[in-house]
Amino acid sequence: MNTVVTQDLSLLYLISSASLPVQLVMLILLLVSVLSWWFIFRKLFVIRDAMKQTDEFEDHFWRGADLNALHQRATSSRHSPGSMERIFAAGFGEFSKHPPGTDIQSVMESTRRAMQATYQREMDTLESHLSFLATVGSVSPYIGLLGTVWGIMNSFRSLSNVAQATIAHVAPGIAEALIATAMGLFAAIPAVIAYNRFASDTEKLSTRFESFMEELTNVLQRRIAE
Amino acid sequence: MSAVNALRNAPTTEPGLLRAGVLALLVHIAFIALMVFGLNWKAQEPEGMVVELWQDLSQPIQAQQVPEPPPPPPPPEQQPDPVKEPVKQEPAPEPIRVAPPPPKKPDIPLKQETQKPEPVKEIKPDPEDLKKKEQERIEAEKQAKEKAEAERIQREKEAQRKREQEAQAQREAQQAAARARVMSEVAKYKAMILAKIKSRIVMPPDLPGNPVTEFNVTLLPGGDILDVKLRRSSGYGVFDSAVERAIHLSRPLPLPPDPALFNEFRNLNVTVHYLE
Repeated sequence: MNTVVTQDLSLLYLISSASLPVQLVMLILLLVSVLSWWFIFRKLFVIRDAMKQTDEFEDHFWRGADLNALHQRATSSRHSPGSMERIFAAGFGEFSKHPPGTDIQSVMESTRRAMQATYQREMDTLESHLSFLATVGSVSPYIGLLGTVWGIMNSFRSLSNVAQATIAHVAPGIAEALIATAMGLFAAIPAVIAYNRFASDTEKLSTRFESFMEELTNVLQRRIAE
Repeated sequence: MSAVNALRNAPTTEPGLLRAGVLALLVHIAFIALMVFGLNWKAQEPEGMVVELWQDLSQPIQAQQVPEPPPPPPPPEQQPDPVKEPVKQEPAPEPIRVAPPPPKKPDIPLKQETQKPEPVKEIKPDPEDLKKKEQERIEAEKQAKEKAEAERIQREKEAQRKREQEAQAQREAQQAAARARVMSEVAKYKAMILAKIKSRIVMPPDLPGNPVTEFNVTLLPGGDILDVKLRRSSGYGVFDSAVERAIHLSRPLPLPPDPALFNEFRNLNVTVHYLE
C-alpha cells in the first residue's frame, strides 16, 4: 500500500536509478577494481615464477657447477633465465671480457657495476605495478565515499519537498549511495593485502640478489687471485 | 657484447597476462553474483491482500450455491443433492437402521427366562410339601417372570436411550458442521468486504508507524450501507476519513446470498491497518 516500502530494491534497480555522478563513480571503481585484480594476478604469477627460478639457480650455483657452463646456459636463446641468473650472466660476462692481467680492483669494480645495473633493472620489473596497487588501496575508498556522500546529499535534498519525512523516503537513496562505498572497499581491500604481500616478497628477493652479488664478487676475486 | 645486449633486451614477457585477466574478471563476476543473489534485496512486502482474497472468491461462489440449502434445516439434508454430500447422507439413514434391532433384542431376555426356571425344576422332585413347593414354585416363577419382565423393560429403555444419545450426537455433529460451514461462509464474506473496502482506500502518504482505525458499519440486507461510525480513531484524521470514504465508495458490500446469514453482517467492525 505504501509505495515506497514495497519498492523493489534490487541491485540493478538501485544502480540504474542512481544519479549520474554516482554512476560515474561506480564505473570508475569498477574499472579500477578490475585493473587492480588483473595486476594482482599478474604479480602473483610473476613473483611466484621469480622465486622458483631463484631457488633453482641458487641450487645449481652452490652445488659447484662450472661457472662457464652456467654462463653458457644463461645466455643461450633457448633458455629463459630468471632474475638471479641474469644478474650472474651480466657479472660473469663483464668479468670474462677483461684480459688476464688487468688490475684486480678495476675488474672487480666493473663487474660489480654490471651486476648492479642488472639488479636494478630486475627489481624494477618485479616492483612494477606495485605502486598502482598501493594507490588503489589508499584512494578507492575515498572515491567510493565521494559517490556515497553525493548520493546521500541528493536523497536528503529530495526530502525538503515532503511535509512528513519518513525513513522510507531516504532509504533507497542511501542504499544506492552505499553501493559506491561497497565497491570502493571491494577494490581497496584486496589491493592493500596484495600490495603488502608483494612488497615483502620483492623485499626478500632483493636481499637474496644482493647477498648473491656479494658472494659472486668474492668467488670471482678468488678466481683472479688463483 | 651481443650476448649482453641480448640479455638486456631479454624480453620480460610475463607468463600469465591473459590468465590473470580471466581470473580478475572471474573474481568480479563472482562478487556481482554474490551481491545480486546472495542478498535479499526485496523489501519485505506485506502480503498482497487483494490478490489473495480474490483467489478466495472463486471457491466461495461455487461452494455457496450448492450447500446453501443445508444450513437452515437439518431435515432436508436427507434428500439434497446427491453429488455434494454423499458423506453426510450416510449418517442420516443410520437412525432408521438402528431402529429395527429393538424387536430382536427382546429375544435375549426371553432365552434367559427359560434358562432361569431350570434350577427350579431340579428342586421339583422333592416329595414333601408338594403343595407348598408348588406355590413357592409358582411364586418363584412369577417373581422370575416379573424380574425378567423388568429386566427386559430396563434393557429396552437402555437401548432406546442409547439410540437417542447416538441420534443426538449425530444431530449435534451435523449442527456443528453446519455451524462451521456458516462460520467459514461468514469469514469469507467478511474478508471480501474488507478487501473491497481496502481496494478503494486512497492511502495518505507518509504516516509514521502503523496506525489502526476501526469503524462500525451498519448494513442493510442487500449490502447497502446504513451508517458508518468511527469506533476508534487512528489519531490521523486524514487516514480515518480516507477509510470512511472508501467504505462509502464500496457500497454495495458483498453479502452471502443466504438471508439467514445476514444477522452476522448487520453490525460490522471494519479494522484497517495503515501498513497492509
